[in-house]
Amino acid sequence: MRLQMNRRHFLGASAGAAALPFLPGRARATTPFTMQSAWINDAEFAGYFIGLDQGYYAEEGLDLTYLPGGPDVIPESSIIAGRADLSLTTPDTTIKAIVEQGAPFKIIGAQYQKNPIGIVSLAKSPILTPQDMIGKTIAVPPVNTISVEAVLAINGIERSQVNIVPYSYDPTPLIRGEIDASLDFTTNVPYTIETMGEEAVSFLLYDFGFTIYNDTVVVTEETLRTKRAELVGWLRASRRGWVENFEDPDLWPPRWMDTWFAGTGRSLENELFFNHAQQPLMASPAGYMAMTEEGIEANLEALARVGINGTRDMFDTTLLEEL
Amino acid sequence: MGVDLWQRWPGLRNALVLIAIWELVGQFKLVAGGALPSLSAIVLRLWVDRADYPGHIWATLSASASGFLIGNTIAILAGVLFVTFPVLLRITRGLNIAIFALPPIAIAPILALTLSGMAPRITLAALGVYFVTMSATVIGLSQYDSRAANLVRAYGGAKWQVLWRVQLRGALPAILSGFRIAAPAAVLGAILAEFGGGGRWGLGTYLLGSLGRGEPARIWGIGLVATLIAGLSYVAFALLSARLVGTSRAVSLNPAAPPALRVDPSPWWHRIGLLLCSVALPFVVWWAFLRVLSVPSMLGKTPWDVIHYLFLSELRATAQSRLFSALAETLPITFAGMILGMGFAFVLAVSSRLLPEFTRAFMPVALITQTMPLVALTPLLVLILGRGTSLTLWVTISVTFFPAYVMMAQGLLLVPRAAVELPRAYGAKAWAELRLVAIPASIPYVFAAMRLTAPRALLGVMIAEWLATGRGLGNLLNQSRGYLDFNMIWTVAAVSVLISVGFYQIVLMIERRVLARMGMAATE
Repeated sequence: MRLQMNRRHFLGASAGAAALPFLPGRARATTPFTMQSAWINDAEFAGYFIGLDQGYYAEEGLDLTYLPGGPDVIPESSIIAGRADLSLTTPDTTIKAIVEQGAPFKIIGAQYQKNPIGIVSLAKSPILTPQDMIGKTIAVPPVNTISVEAVLAINGIERSQVNIVPYSYDPTPLIRGEIDASLDFTTNVPYTIETMGEEAVSFLLYDFGFTIYNDTVVVTEETLRTKRAELVGWLRASRRGWVENFEDPDLWPPRWMDTWFAGTGRSLENELFFNHAQQPLMASPAGYMAMTEEGIEANLEALARVGINGTRDMFDTTLLEEL
Repeated sequence: MGVDLWQRWPGLRNALVLIAIWELVGQFKLVAGGALPSLSAIVLRLWVDRADYPGHIWATLSASASGFLIGNTIAILAGVLFVTFPVLLRITRGLNIAIFALPPIAIAPILALTLSGMAPRITLAALGVYFVTMSATVIGLSQYDSRAANLVRAYGGAKWQVLWRVQLRGALPAILSGFRIAAPAAVLGAILAEFGGGGRWGLGTYLLGSLGRGEPARIWGIGLVATLIAGLSYVAFALLSARLVGTSRAVSLNPAAPPALRVDPSPWWHRIGLLLCSVALPFVVWWAFLRVLSVPSMLGKTPWDVIHYLFLSELRATAQSRLFSALAETLPITFAGMILGMGFAFVLAVSSRLLPEFTRAFMPVALITQTMPLVALTPLLVLILGRGTSLTLWVTISVTFFPAYVMMAQGLLLVPRAAVELPRAYGAKAWAELRLVAIPASIPYVFAAMRLTAPRALLGVMIAEWLATGRGLGNLLNQSRGYLDFNMIWTVAAVSVLISVGFYQIVLMIERRVLARMGMAATE
């Protein structure tokens, strides 16, 4: 493990030094580079799949290995263990780890400018604002409990007025009426609920004061020092992938049913729904993957409300400035 | 003709009855408004999804088969070593119990980070297999027919010849019965590691992707495929064991039990030394694991780190209060679930003698509850039972009763024929025969089953807490994982292992007292 890291660092450093940004991609040797994703393969990661399929990462001199995530994968752990160079994370856990455990992380970009998580309920008994949650049973993944508690606090609702139970990413209890709402990706689960014959409504936690990013791009401080050129290349290629994806959100997902999406058991219609729904959450005047000063400020404010006191220097926007 | 068929294949008839009931229940949405789909709906869904399966099945199959092979090889070698050099059994005792009691949900993410590729799955499968097979080997090897051993010795046979010609032959049925439990355990271990390990292929991964789909038919389909893999391996070893048990069971009663496995009486400092080694070894292995793999110190916590976190650090007050309030929720229900699970297993084992037909009909259901991943079963149970205490109890019973049942049934089966035939000759009914001979004779197995069950009870409670109720130790572990609170992850894992070991020791103390009074040897 140690040996491999050193070899990687050596390769990274030498490739970084040798890389001339204007040289055509194919003429250059590629550097091994690994990213840890945040979830199983779905439209959430379309931009990276396009970057891989179209050779945008290769053009940046990166031989990118893509590691899928899942509910039990802790993305940050992969970069601590040296299994990945870069990881997509949720900013609240990342910043909490920096503050409380001194984790050597830097956030260098953000995929979602608005966190897609929200409270999803059925149209026949809609929950459209935090006030509507009073007296209701809401299923929340244990990791996100503090996010929901933050929204309750921001909107002046006592924690005891809402019954929070664990959520396992299955909409069935909602359909059956066992729970009144769940916390999930609003880009995804409403589609599933519609296929089950119910209409879903939702509101974003973001729109009620919990103004954080999601799928933040996180690296260790050491990677930031030793692989800066690769990281800038990764951001550039990823942005190209996302731009291409949203030129026609219906174009790419069908091509991946037998490749990236093979074996996930999800339908094409679901991926298309997802891909359309996520566009407004990712768009930024500063371009895809961007982090603006106002955005960072909003993140820090929201997290401070749940007792996570991050600082501006946990974000590094200088790589984005190089794009 | 028709009657003849039913009589020859009562299992077939029972299976058909079960399938018919299942179909009706599914069609009319009798369980929680359709949470249990009909078998035909599941099969249809399997057909629709058929293109997804080969890759996933292959990944799970290869991981669990490798784990099964590696784990069992180590287990049998260890078993032989332990019987040959009983002092080793004393030294590694703490380690063996710790391996057995490790909650797989706690170490799956840790294995996924410290090892790469398929290694975490194989390791978890192998860990799931090791203890069962190792203890079955030791039991089998130490309960040989001493007359046959004397015969070999009388003709000048050496110790290893006794081992080879008598003990290993005699141990085969026990080892094979260990394999029967180990096979589904390997599949479950591999699937559990798929949950923690990421990656694209494997039935566990597929299940994860499907959990949020609101399609019970597919979830059941995946569960049934996992069940089929595990079930077929179980059946294979059951058939093998049935063939071999006939050739190795004693025909006549041997009045002289083989000498008990015991280190010669030794000075007190020797015994204390062994005990200290046994207690220290798991911690040494824990520490060495982290060092050998050079796990970064932020991820991998040493035993000292955990002690420091819990008792010396600035965070100790909040850490302790979180841990203790979780324990206060988890422990009472663990005891209750364990007692119920054991009781159920005992009733089942006895009824397998009294009502063999009923047991045969029940076995497929039992096997499904064992091999269907709890992660798939729990959402269904939630719909039926809600998220309260009864759910936790049912999950706990379902993970404890099966291994306990197999152990007890094996004990009842291995009672020497001569002992059984005595009451029969006096005209005793089946129940009297059981009460007078079979149950007392199989008491060592009942205790072995109880020791096997104790850690699983805790695991069952933790799984239910993790997935459904959001309370106790399981929830603390899940939440700490989410917050990257590695100190707490290792603390919960260590504490749950310590509790399991504690349970185990308590059962063992009771066992020694009872068996000593009855003049029997404990099965290690």
